[in-house]
Amino acid sequence: MDGSRPHGMEPLPQFQGQAPAPKMRATSYDCMKCGKSNEIKIREPIRCFDCGYRILVKQRTKRMVQFEAR
Amino acid sequence: MTSGFRTLERQRKAIAPGSTHEYPEAQKLTAPHIESFNSIWEAAGPRTPALVDVAMGLVGRQSAFDGKATGESARGTRIEFWVDGLRLDHPALSARETRSANRLVYPTECRQRGISYRGRLAGVLHYRVGDGPEQTEERAFGQLPVMVRTNRCNLQGMGPAELVRHHEEAEEMGGYFIINGNEKVMRLLIAQRRNHVLAIQRPSYGSRGPGFTPFATQIRCVRRDQTSQTITMHYLSTGSLLLRFAMRKQEYMVPLTLVLRALVGASDREMFEAIVGGDADNIFVRDRVELLLRAGKEYGVYTREQALAYLGDKFRVAMYADDAATNAELGALLLDRMVMVHLDDHRDKFNMLAHMARKLYASVSGECREDNPDAQQMQEVYLPGHLYLALIKEKVEDYLLGIRAELGKDARSGKIDLYNRRYLARLFARVPGDIGQKAQYFLATGNLVTRSGLDMQQMSGYTIVAEKLNYLRYLSHFRCIHRGAFFAELKTTGVRKLLPEGWGFLCPVHTPDGAPCGLLNHLAHKCRVTTVVEETAGVERTLARLGVAPGMPTPALRTAELLTVQLDGRIVGYCSEAVAQRVAHQLRVLKLQRQAPGAGLAMIPATLEIGLVPRSTGGQLPGLFLFTTPARFVRPVTHLATRLEDLVGSFEQVYMEIACLDEDVRPGATTHQEVLPTNMLSAVANLTPFCDFNQSPRNMYQCQMGKQTMGTPMQSFPYRTDNKLYRLQTGQTPICRPRIYDDYGVDGYPNGANAVVAVISYTGYDMEDAMILNKSAHERGFGYGTIYKTEYVDLGKFRKPGDPITLHFGLGRDMLANEAVMDRIDVDGLPFPGVRVQDGDPLYAAVDDVRGRTKLFKYKGEAGYVETVRLLSSGVDEELQVVALTFRIPRSPIMGDKFSSRHGQKGVCSQKFPAVDMPFTESGMQPDVIINPHAFPSRMTIGMFVESIAAKAGALHGVCQDATPFQFSETHTAADYFGEQLRRAGYNYHGSEPMYSGVTGQEMRADIYIGVVYYQRLRHMVGDKYQVRTTGPINPLTQQPIKGRKRGGGIRLGEMERDALIAHGAAYFLQDRLMNCSDYSLAYVCRKCGSVLAPIAIPATSHVVDLTGKRGVAFSGLSAAEARAIMATSSSTSSSSSLAAAQAAVPMGKGPLDLVCRLCDDSADGITMVALPYVFRYLATELMSMNMKVTLDVK
Repeated sequence: MDGSRPHGMEPLPQFQGQAPAPKMRATSYDCMKCGKSNEIKIREPIRCFDCGYRILVKQRTKRMVQFEAR
Repeated sequence: MTSGFRTLERQRKAIAPGSTHEYPEAQKLTAPHIESFNSIWEAAGPRTPALVDVAMGLVGRQSAFDGKATGESARGTRIEFWVDGLRLDHPALSARETRSANRLVYPTECRQRGISYRGRLAGVLHYRVGDGPEQTEERAFGQLPVMVRTNRCNLQGMGPAELVRHHEEAEEMGGYFIINGNEKVMRLLIAQRRNHVLAIQRPSYGSRGPGFTPFATQIRCVRRDQTSQTITMHYLSTGSLLLRFAMRKQEYMVPLTLVLRALVGASDREMFEAIVGGDADNIFVRDRVELLLRAGKEYGVYTREQALAYLGDKFRVAMYADDAATNAELGALLLDRMVMVHLDDHRDKFNMLAHMARKLYASVSGECREDNPDAQQMQEVYLPGHLYLALIKEKVEDYLLGIRAELGKDARSGKIDLYNRRYLARLFARVPGDIGQKAQYFLATGNLVTRSGLDMQQMSGYTIVAEKLNYLRYLSHFRCIHRGAFFAELKTTGVRKLLPEGWGFLCPVHTPDGAPCGLLNHLAHKCRVTTVVEETAGVERTLARLGVAPGMPTPALRTAELLTVQLDGRIVGYCSEAVAQRVAHQLRVLKLQRQAPGAGLAMIPATLEIGLVPRSTGGQLPGLFLFTTPARFVRPVTHLATRLEDLVGSFEQVYMEIACLDEDVRPGATTHQEVLPTNMLSAVANLTPFCDFNQSPRNMYQCQMGKQTMGTPMQSFPYRTDNKLYRLQTGQTPICRPRIYDDYGVDGYPNGANAVVAVISYTGYDMEDAMILNKSAHERGFGYGTIYKTEYVDLGKFRKPGDPITLHFGLGRDMLANEAVMDRIDVDGLPFPGVRVQDGDPLYAAVDDVRGRTKLFKYKGEAGYVETVRLLSSGVDEELQVVALTFRIPRSPIMGDKFSSRHGQKGVCSQKFPAVDMPFTESGMQPDVIINPHAFPSRMTIGMFVESIAAKAGALHGVCQDATPFQFSETHTAADYFGEQLRRAGYNYHGSEPMYSGVTGQEMRADIYIGVVYYQRLRHMVGDKYQVRTTGPINPLTQQPIKGRKRGGGIRLGEMERDALIAHGAAYFLQDRLMNCSDYSLAYVCRKCGSVLAPIAIPATSHVVDLTGKRGVAFSGLSAAEARAIMATSSSTSSSSSLAAAQAAVPMGKGPLDLVCRLCDDSADGITMVALPYVFRYLATELMSMNMKVTLDVK
């Protein structure tokens, strides 16, 4: 658990009401070219660690997405 | 028997793409673009070097002097410099990029990151100081945009499998540039046929000056590097001939005799013989040449040297000449650069000028007719590659001139030091030479910035964005050919005419209606444009062998019967008409034999154009004109005798006998036949099924609507970031398809769906082209579409370039408690992909270092879903600043959306009718779409009827129907052919069926025509268009509603609408529109003076202060209200009467108010309230400012 909030879960008690330390925050992105998942911390340059590609895509939310079907 | 749809085969290929293209015909569509770009950088053959090297050879050398006088020269040491070896690298990462294994940059990255697809352009700069050794230096000329799929593109030679791996279309055609993420196409433009003399007659020429007549001949000479120089020869009533040419956008006139003399030092007799030729009996020409020679005497120029010096002297300044050059050298340079530039030899130039003069006299005397520059016979194409090279060449020239100017400046200030290498290196670097940037500007804006004019008629509109709206739209961008912006403004319609000369080259159907009609044409789908500079020595040898006397005939041989034989605008020789006919025939045979095995001795190019213009009375000037040059229109036809494919050009076609169908063949006369009659149509026009049954304008409309269809623009949706993409989710292949569908792979990009269509007047909701949609068809997904919108977010926009980054994507601590935000936005400040967004929802967030707060950005626009969030690198080692957000907006068809069949029959959906209420046939079929029978009688789109029964039969038998036009005849009718198929399936032969009302269940009195028609959903949707308001934003000055749908404005009810309402007597409605829903306001008017401006409100006072006599200097100029307010405060506080203090002290607008009229001595008697348009008050104020009073007569 690196401090990023897992989607779809309630925030853990120790994180409620306070921001995680900025250094700890990292999010996973997929490389547009090789498809590898990259953990990019905030303020890091946008490069795939594996192939050095310059476009990363945000992974789809793991939370349930449901809309009223009407 | 297979169905003909090739469904499984296509699916197999889609799952496992191969290494060769499935649809080679589709690849050929962009050939003019790609091949012309390729020819810049790579040699086409051993004798035809890469055009860029030719161009650099023609740029020439520049030189300058340091001005430090030495013993030998007063001007000092000379430095000479030039550029060659220009080369373009494949697009690659910059050297600073260290983390990538693959250095190559591919188009998909450029599209998604919104950058340009460019390669490094570099050349070698040579210089020589004095008589010293030649020095070389590598120079970079910036990053030059590269055309996709050319020999400088990283996708070159890739097959479908590899292309898909690089996130491209499997059948990517290329032919465009990527500029800031946009796909830009350089337009094909019509040009005058090169190296061929045109006789022109234009009234405007007559008014150019004294002596000028409407007669002229013109030739557009094209150099070996494909840049051109047009020269015009004017006929003056004095007998003199003037050569006109443009140099640096400036026009110059030079007497012909001077140029002829300068070229070869021709004597008067030589000139006379060259122009008159064997036609000594022609008194008209003889007299005119005599006059010409006499007029030439006034310059006192008799020898070649004198003539060159004379020209050099006059053009020294205009040519930016080298100081050291003598006048004679400059004269020679002028002839090289401006006169008949397609020829190198001065004798050839002389002969061609003589021919030009001869044609001019022939045109004046009526011996030959003027040529029509609007006919395709006299036209060719400005190819993208050639224009691009011309631009690059000129920028290199500019760079050299820049160095020269800089050297001159330094020489004057004394800073120059030619023997210091460091000085020179600094100087070369100082002069701006970023050619890539200039080319990028050209492609991005379409504006041509040029010093010389490049012999072009327009300076803007060279590029267009290749919109991927659907496949047909995209494809058309590469096939469209424009006549030129100049002609768009022309009042005359002659240029727009559809001429028979264009048969097979330009599509007669595929041109827009309206302003660009006839100016914006499309190439016929089999029309090719030559791009190779051919080797012509073989043709010349053959000509000599066949009996064409080389060179100018000796005077003894000259007769009037000799015809000129020209090869690419060079007079090869003369021969009699009989010989010319034999030569033309023999050349044709040799050209065709080229394809035969074992041939190839004669080296006749496959695209050789053999234009034999026979002798006629008052027709085109006779002669044998041969062309092998690039940029010509050619098309394949069948040579009847050999059954071989022969490429025919637009010049020769006029004089050839080409039959269209078998019955058109005239034995003995016809030599060629069309491969297919559909070859005359463009790729898009070809896709209209049974288009030969339709009235022709309907086919034109379909060409337009096919390009506006919401279809399948691409297969690579996940890798695209276009601003707006339309996608039809439930596309089908039509049951009725022309054969060409399989050639161009249109099945990969479906544009609509097959619908069961009943032609019936049923609901009353289908009048005036409205159509009824079956609600169940809609629920099954008929016409369901999606729009993808991409928005680029660049945080760098909030700071100045060079400033440190203070805004970072992310959520700050202050947002953690905000559940509405946390639900949508991740800790990285970006939305979760898949989340639904509505107008006003928080979309993304950024933390501001300076304020320490989180900045929230909201979503604007239609409700949709976040499809993709792309994090884009903006620079080396820079943190995230640019993000591309792609939204998916669902657009199911609703009332008001536009649909059309493929026959120019468009309509708006007016109702989604419940299935239970729809009529049904005996077999229980319900129509998906109902259209009104009135759509047919006046439009006569019989093709739609045929499609209806053909597709119905196809659906019943499970086969694909061939809808290629020109397949049926009077004896073999379509109605019978498909009627029989229907009958065999157990249906009515005519396609109509008894139907029952869905509402009452009763059988209808008439049988209903019901069948299957392919329906397109057009991109015009009410969702993008509806505009409604009662109240909303207003203009603060006039208080009237603002305009513009985006801003919530209204639609103007203009004068004509107003007139109509008045005529109807709809007074109440008019009042509502123009007053109540617009700038209704209540205003006070003084009945006594009639002013709307004089009544003012003042704070109610309990006692009246008498102001008269007490007005001091400070109060003069104040209104009564202001003055009274001041008086009140000054008396109570006894402080100084500062205006500001006084105004602050009085609570204006608060408390009870009195209304008084300023003009009527502050009396309140006459004041009354009226309703007025607010602008009226504005008008009264404006008039007041001009000292005019508006008086209202209020009773």
